Amino acid sequence: MPSKTFDGSDASSAHTPLHRLPKGSRARVVEIAASALFGDMDDQVTLRLKELGFLPGATLQVIGFGLFGTDPIAVRINGTKFGLRRAEAEKVLAILHSA
Amino acid sequence: MPPMSQSVLHFALVGNPNCGKTALFNCLTGARAKVANYAGVTVEKRSGPLAGLSRPAELIDLPGTYSLYVASPDEQVARRVILGEMPGEVRPDALVAVVDATNIKLGLRLVLELKALGLPMILVLNLADAARQRGINIRTDLLAERLGMPVVETVAVRRNGVAALQAALRTLALDLKSRTGSLGLPERGEAVESLYARIDALLADCVEAPASAPRWQDRLDALVMHPVLGLVILAATLLLMFQAVFAWAAPLMDGIEALVGWLGGQVGALLPEGILHDFVVDGLIAGMGSVLVFLPQIIILFAFILALEDSGYLPRAAFLLDRMMRGVGLSGRSFIPLLSSFACAVPGIMSTRSISNPHERLVTIMTAPLMTCSARLPVYALVIGAFVPQRTVWGLFNLQGVTLFCLYVAGIASAALVAWVCRRRQGKSESFPLLLELPNYRWPNLYHFLLGLKERAWIFLRRVGTIILALSIVLWFLATFPGAPEDAALPAIEYSFAGKLGALMQPLFEPLGFSWQMCIALIPAMAAREVAVSTLATVYAVGGGDAALGSTLAHSWSLPVALAYLAWFVYAPQCLSTIAVVRRETNSRRATLIFTAYLFALAYVAALLVRHLAAAWA
Repeated sequence: MPSKTFDGSDASSAHTPLHRLPKGSRARVVEIAASALFGDMDDQVTLRLKELGFLPGATLQVIGFGLFGTDPIAVRINGTKFGLRRAEAEKVLAILHSA
Repeated sequence: MPPMSQSVLHFALVGNPNCGKTALFNCLTGARAKVANYAGVTVEKRSGPLAGLSRPAELIDLPGTYSLYVASPDEQVARRVILGEMPGEVRPDALVAVVDATNIKLGLRLVLELKALGLPMILVLNLADAARQRGINIRTDLLAERLGMPVVETVAVRRNGVAALQAALRTLALDLKSRTGSLGLPERGEAVESLYARIDALLADCVEAPASAPRWQDRLDALVMHPVLGLVILAATLLLMFQAVFAWAAPLMDGIEALVGWLGGQVGALLPEGILHDFVVDGLIAGMGSVLVFLPQIIILFAFILALEDSGYLPRAAFLLDRMMRGVGLSGRSFIPLLSSFACAVPGIMSTRSISNPHERLVTIMTAPLMTCSARLPVYALVIGAFVPQRTVWGLFNLQGVTLFCLYVAGIASAALVAWVCRRRQGKSESFPLLLELPNYRWPNLYHFLLGLKERAWIFLRRVGTIILALSIVLWFLATFPGAPEDAALPAIEYSFAGKLGALMQPLFEPLGFSWQMCIALIPAMAAREVAVSTLATVYAVGGGDAALGSTLAHSWSLPVALAYLAWFVYAPQCLSTIAVVRRETNSRRATLIFTAYLFALAYVAALLVRHLAAAWA
């Protein structure tokens, strides 16, 4: 898969996109980043993620992954579990909880 | 007091997916609900009368939605009905907003959006028992005061669990006016962030909740969604399901066939020999039997699907399989309908109702018949047995088995290709996000489970049954009239309209190399594919089973033509039950036409290619 990710924001290692977080880890959402993958619909996808509770400051936990690799990814946020595809997960930037 | 207007009040149930809305709907409307499609879209519509109010009232169960503003195609239906923009639907006079009490934060966001519309509203905290069990304590009176609307708790899975809601509905109905016209969607006045801040403040005052959900739910998820163990569990579940559909249904299907045969015999004995006798026995009763025989498979398949859906497992299976299905533009949700179609496309297509995205549902319906159904097996077995030698290839495989395998693979590969083309045509850079909620596990409730089963069986019997029955009567007519002359030397079917039609069709099928006998067999095969075998036996006037028929065919057909006939059967939509169910599930004449035409075209091209390739090879 070509890595059409956002412009260098994952260079700062503190902000990890959701799909790179290890299974079982907890993290705090920092930002919902723009992504070219969704084209015109990107704002809608950002809004939908926020509506489901992926807001800066929210704590999430990675529960598991699909059959092959890290796509899709299951997370818990505000007590609700969601399955996200990688394209959506890439938009969610988070900071790993240190312990 | 002025006389009360008797116009029907319209209530709508609105809520997130998985909040137990449909169970609540079942409790309120009992078994009187109607299930249909919304006009022009493959989204299921449920509505039913609401009894016990001072005026006649109708309750509609809207598709689950997270938001009024960001909407996937099925959520748009909910929004358009609420706003009165949906053609053929009356705008609701009042809303019943349902929130899962164990997941109140997510639900309240939608409630606040709905509140801004200014419609009369009741807030229902469903699954109140589960919430209490978890130690979640909600102060409903305070919540009602802060929100400015009645708030009631319900336990939809218990008989008297909705009494409070019924009382609230009665009160609300007293001074409710019927309205018409549509409602504009107000501009989103508030950012999501501030909406959630308000909810947090509200929850801090009204709700006491322990920090985490029960541990067993997480332990079960660790198992079910494990990349290896999860797959083993899924495979075992599916194996059991298809074992049931194939094997457990068989005695019931045999029973139904025997019953229909017995009924035919009993009724036949009462009627004098003649055309009326033939019509009732061969047309009416046999036609009805050909529909009824699917019923056990449908009930068993839906028993599994409903139980898996109600328990919360189905979204997890979709999650596991998502990556696999995505390559062709479908999602994990299409997997079970497509897999079911290997038994029979009719229940497979009916089970697409669990796919919430209408486009994906349509593509799944379009590709379902390409999964080789069990009715094609007798035809495959006959032709393969007659033309493909019993030979071992690559030191391991039986050539006949390999051929059968290739036919299955051809169907699957074609389905992938068709789905992929449909996706290209839709042409979005990325489809609407998956964002699948993985709801809490729950024990399926028997009452709702049985009601769901009854609903599926009823849809099949009443709506599809009428169409299939009518068509099988037409087919019987075509195959019977006109009758053979007294001194007929040929099988009677050759004198009938069906026979003439077969002869008429033959020039069209000439490029494929099909003889007129082969064309005739295609006509009764419209009722059920396996009938092609008995028709071939009739037109070639062969008795004594498949082996005798096989050796006759081996002499009359060339190998390329036989292979082309197989290719035709892989694709041709020649089972009226399937076409009828597509018409019923898509609710669209155009979609049904496209479905039928594209499959016939595919069948023709495939048979043509196979014939010429095979001829060139040999």
